[in-house]
Amino acid sequence: MIAILGLIIGVAAGLIIEPEVPDSMEPYLPIAVVAALDATFGALRAYLDDIFDDKVFVVSFLSNVIIAALIVYLGDKLGVGAQLSTGVVVVLGIRIFSNVAAIRRHIFHA
Amino acid sequence: MIARPPFDKRPLADRRTKSSWELLEQVSATSLDEDYGRVAARRGSQAKGSRRRPKLFGAVALVALGVLIAITALQTRSASPVDAQERSSLVSQIHDRESDISRLASRSDLLQTEVEALQSDAEQLGGKGDALLDTLNQARLLTGAVPATGPGLRILADDEADGEAGAGGTILDVDLQVMVNGLWQAGAEAISINGNRLGSLSAIRTAGRAITVNYNSLIPPYVVTAIGDPDTLEAAFADTPGGQAWFDLETNYGIQFDMDTVDELTLPAVPSERLEAQYAERLAELP
Repeated sequence: MIAILGLIIGVAAGLIIEPEVPDSMEPYLPIAVVAALDATFGALRAYLDDIFDDKVFVVSFLSNVIIAALIVYLGDKLGVGAQLSTGVVVVLGIRIFSNVAAIRRHIFHA
Repeated sequence: MIARPPFDKRPLADRRTKSSWELLEQVSATSLDEDYGRVAARRGSQAKGSRRRPKLFGAVALVALGVLIAITALQTRSASPVDAQERSSLVSQIHDRESDISRLASRSDLLQTEVEALQSDAEQLGGKGDALLDTLNQARLLTGAVPATGPGLRILADDEADGEAGAGGTILDVDLQVMVNGLWQAGAEAISINGNRLGSLSAIRTAGRAITVNYNSLIPPYVVTAIGDPDTLEAAFADTPGGQAWFDLETNYGIQFDMDTVDELTLPAVPSERLEAQYAERLAELP
């Protein structure tokens, strides 16, 4: 309950405040969102597995976002930013899908 | 908790064929952070039964996720009008360039036809230029502006061998004038006397005790060369009044008068100061 509330509050706050993002940060936003989604789905699956832990979630969330952004930043500096972004998105996408599959099994028992 | 896969003992070559597939498998197998399992195991069974719920930090992280999603969505939406604007400006640029291309293509066609017209003009003018050059060379030859060569007649004339000066046996300027006139009449095309080519301004006259041509004094004997038809020039000259007069001079006054038809004569050009017109102006251009 608190999770859904937090999500809604976050989206509403973002839409209302419309914070200005510096141009240099802009390319890393989508990757950061995907990484954060991965951490969140992982947390949801852990919650359903009954092994959720607040601290682990926060740490994995932050590290996911920062590492994903760092990898893309490094790729930009090396001139392979697009390829590395694709790689990160593929890996995170696989993780998200398999986590969602586990969540689905939990909810529907199928 | 996810168990670490056992060490692969297969040969490297076998492993490599499956390695990429195994990588994907591994990614999906470890999709849940191992830390959850570790922490849960460390906690042991004490907490089992009651679900562990997200607390403050988890909620903050979710708020951050919401903010991130919102910002990214806004960013993408605000960027899209710029993209559309750029695209439409590019499209209009493309249209501009296309119209430029068709305009330049038609201009190119126009210029091409112009070039062709000018080329045909140039060819015509080129032919005309050759004709003009021919005319000019002919004129230069006939006015004596250039040396001339060709077959013709060589006449050797000298005063009476032992006659005294001023007597009938001396060749006068009039005699040479008559001879030159006869040669023109007989069809000569170029004449020189003792190497002095006769041009349109050349006079044969007596100055003091000598005959001058082109302001050059002549010393007997006089050699008159005339370019003309080698077959007819000598006979034709003999028929002219000038020729007749010289036969008279030869028989009556003992003046030496010999004619020779020569295969090749070379006549010099008229001195350039005798080719300049000061008062005469041409009334027509060259054709």
